[in-house]
Amino acid sequence: MNLYVNGTARQVEPAWRNETLLTVLREHLGLTGSRFSCGIGQCGACVVHIDGKPVTSCLIPVSAVANKDILTIEGLASEDGTLHPLQQAWIDESVPQCGYCQSGQIMQALALLNETSNPDDAEIDRAMSGNLCRCGTYDRIRKSIKKAAVALSEAANLSEEAQ
Amino acid sequence: MAKLTRRGLLAATGWVAGGATVLYIVRDRAIAVAPTIIFPDKESGAAWLQIRPDGSCRMFFSRQDMGQNANTGLAQIVAEELNIDVDDIEGVLPNTGEVPPLAVTAASMSLTAFSRPTAIAAATLRESMRERAAANLSESLSAILDDAGGFRTADDRRVSYADLLEESSVMVEFDESKPLPALYTYDSAREKKQVGHAAKPLGIRELVTGEPVYATDVHMPGMLYGRAIQPPVRNARIASLDTSGVAGIEGVVELVLEGDFVGVVCNIPSAVDAAMAQIKVTWKLEQPITQNEIDRLVDVDAEMTEGDLEHLLVDEAHNKDVDWAIDLRFDVQVQSHAQQEPRAAIARFNEAGAHHKLEIWTGTQDPWAIKRSASRDTGLSEDGVVVYPQRMGGGFGGREYYEVERDAVRLARAVKRPVKVQWMRKDEFTASRSRPASAHRLRIATDNQGNLSDWWHGYVSGYVTLARERLPGWLLPVMRFGEDSGVVKGAMSPYSAPHQRVEYKDVDLPIDLGVWRSLNGAPAIFAIESAMDELAVQQGLDPVDFKIAQMKGAQPRLQNCLERVRKMSSKRPLSSGAGYGRGFACGIYDGRCFIAVSADVHIDEATQQIKVEHMCCAQDVGMAVNPDQLRSQVESNMAWSVGMALLEKFEVADNDIQSSNFDNYRIPRMTDMPRLDIEIIDQPEIPPAGAGEVAIVAGPPAIANAIRQATGFRALRLPISFADIV
Repeated sequence: MNLYVNGTARQVEPAWRNETLLTVLREHLGLTGSRFSCGIGQCGACVVHIDGKPVTSCLIPVSAVANKDILTIEGLASEDGTLHPLQQAWIDESVPQCGYCQSGQIMQALALLNETSNPDDAEIDRAMSGNLCRCGTYDRIRKSIKKAAVALSEAANLSEEAQ
Repeated sequence: MAKLTRRGLLAATGWVAGGATVLYIVRDRAIAVAPTIIFPDKESGAAWLQIRPDGSCRMFFSRQDMGQNANTGLAQIVAEELNIDVDDIEGVLPNTGEVPPLAVTAASMSLTAFSRPTAIAAATLRESMRERAAANLSESLSAILDDAGGFRTADDRRVSYADLLEESSVMVEFDESKPLPALYTYDSAREKKQVGHAAKPLGIRELVTGEPVYATDVHMPGMLYGRAIQPPVRNARIASLDTSGVAGIEGVVELVLEGDFVGVVCNIPSAVDAAMAQIKVTWKLEQPITQNEIDRLVDVDAEMTEGDLEHLLVDEAHNKDVDWAIDLRFDVQVQSHAQQEPRAAIARFNEAGAHHKLEIWTGTQDPWAIKRSASRDTGLSEDGVVVYPQRMGGGFGGREYYEVERDAVRLARAVKRPVKVQWMRKDEFTASRSRPASAHRLRIATDNQGNLSDWWHGYVSGYVTLARERLPGWLLPVMRFGEDSGVVKGAMSPYSAPHQRVEYKDVDLPIDLGVWRSLNGAPAIFAIESAMDELAVQQGLDPVDFKIAQMKGAQPRLQNCLERVRKMSSKRPLSSGAGYGRGFACGIYDGRCFIAVSADVHIDEATQQIKVEHMCCAQDVGMAVNPDQLRSQVESNMAWSVGMALLEKFEVADNDIQSSNFDNYRIPRMTDMPRLDIEIIDQPEIPPAGAGEVAIVAGPPAIANAIRQATGFRALRLPISFADIV
């Protein structure tokens, strides 16, 4: 059984095929950036994208996502190490405190920006309300999403002009 | 450890391979609180740093990181003293085999306790380099001026630190018989380049790219997975146990039974879940675990009716029979830390002959306590145990003890393989050492001018620092003759009254208790600030004016915070519609940190919700080493204020813990967060005061006072729900 994680085919050994996607990513494939926190899809720390849609990977049996495209936080930056505008905005605004929820926050924010290029506060609140942060970094997360939205639309304009 | 000379110690850890190293150990300042050290003392380390032959700087981080980013602040101090940039410092988080014990990371003490030793160490290193520069340039010491990354002369001849160091090593020790070197950090006239400026948390890139930084991210060959049953309270004993279903679970390697310890080890995580579900335990309890029992134990009125409470904090010309203007009881709920990371640990036993017989990877506020406890638990010598501290995904006071580590150690010992234990969210709640329930009776009387004449605050709280299972059984009763330093937090009112009595009783509750953000600071100050607000309202006075008047000029820093918050909030007009209100509160945490908060609330009849729309905070932090990270801490404390005032309650019933996950223990979400205006009041001439658990003392009463203004409802019990108001 294969998973396509961050653009690469990864073999899932038979012993791991009854585990959740999160367990396989973390314990079998060594991709520990998606975090375990509640185990019941209530906090968003484990959010990854499956075929472009955000899901809580703690609830997904790995057998359900064979041959699907999976994007995790490890696949967000470019191969040359250039950070995604969301990651850069997270640094610019010094968002993380303990940091544990932030992979999931960034992946959820990415899903929002994929759908809505310039979200307002209400849209951000709605999209992010399933992602808990016990440190309470919400205000900075909001600011970072707006900042990344601007950076992404500027980049899109530039590439249009170049064409 | 003590057998190694310091130089030998540093050599063993590779620290004196080259360059100049400074080691600073504080002498004659032992303020030890058993069993952990709060201040660095003569037996513990305070600061180690090194300039290497290439001129780069390396420092041992003395603090455990859980989101407060205290090491970043300490690195800024080193950078200030050495005239380098904070980004040029490489931080090393030491394991317990590399340095003498470091103090527990707790009590908002990191910057308060470690700034000065760190500054002294760095300044000592700088001055020793200056002596070398003088020799190198054939100049007198006074002719050697500071320069970025080294020194220069008036005629602009320059030497860098790298120029002054060779491959051979030098060890510099601060000589206490000599005068202190100039400490730039504490020079309020100096225009600082590092201290007082925003610095990014060190390691932030790893956090946004999902690098492995937490204990649960550790992986090693041959590792198995395990978990142990958590009792509802640590003094529970097993009454009945049925493990017959475990044998049928595929993937189980071993069922481990040691007295009241029951755990499983499996070769795959899902088998652990399946096996744990098959273990049926009933418990023999010493107290019933019910809300009624908790309420009965903290019933302050019943206790005060019986007579004086056990501990007396203030007794000044106290009168019992007074015509009280305020006579209110405030009840504060139990709360859990609920940090985002459920705890995890990995333990590995090594073959005879290995230097460390037992290795432990964990995220903890007190790695040296984990080492001592593991040594006691296994019978291994302390030198045979090493703890590799990992970043914590939140701590908030709840991660000081040998708990998930114990599970990993016992299971790894049983199977002779490395074992990772990942607690489930339910384990985290069940094993919570929660903030106790408390009840406060506040009585205030005024003279004919409306000034405070009599103040009587009696309260009953569960133990905090002296809670059961936090100290060895033989020590606990002895310590309990004295004060519980957690239960007394926040009890001293900042208001003047000629007649005062403050008394309390601390009690065992049927759940495990411990240190939670601000300890009793938030509960006590909620009661005090609610009562003072009520008194002002009943007298028809402005609460801010009234509080400032009643400080009688004796609290200039707190008064300043309150005045600034009033000014900030006045720029935000409050809606004049029905159900809007603004409240104020202020408080002093631990005698050294000053905070005032305003809250704007909207009681929304349509949605049946209480919404905190806006909060303003002014915090006097002493010297603001990193203003942006201080602001982060205030933001976090405001989120926790909303949680404490409106959302969170740790539920018990039927002799068990009922709170088990985020679906039944509600913590603040983005939609619960108010907009924030924050002012950090920098006082460069005053040592840094800490911020981790300060603003939460004023947030909840500000919200309660705003609800009073909006609706006339005085909250006497937390959390406050919409149904309480109507």
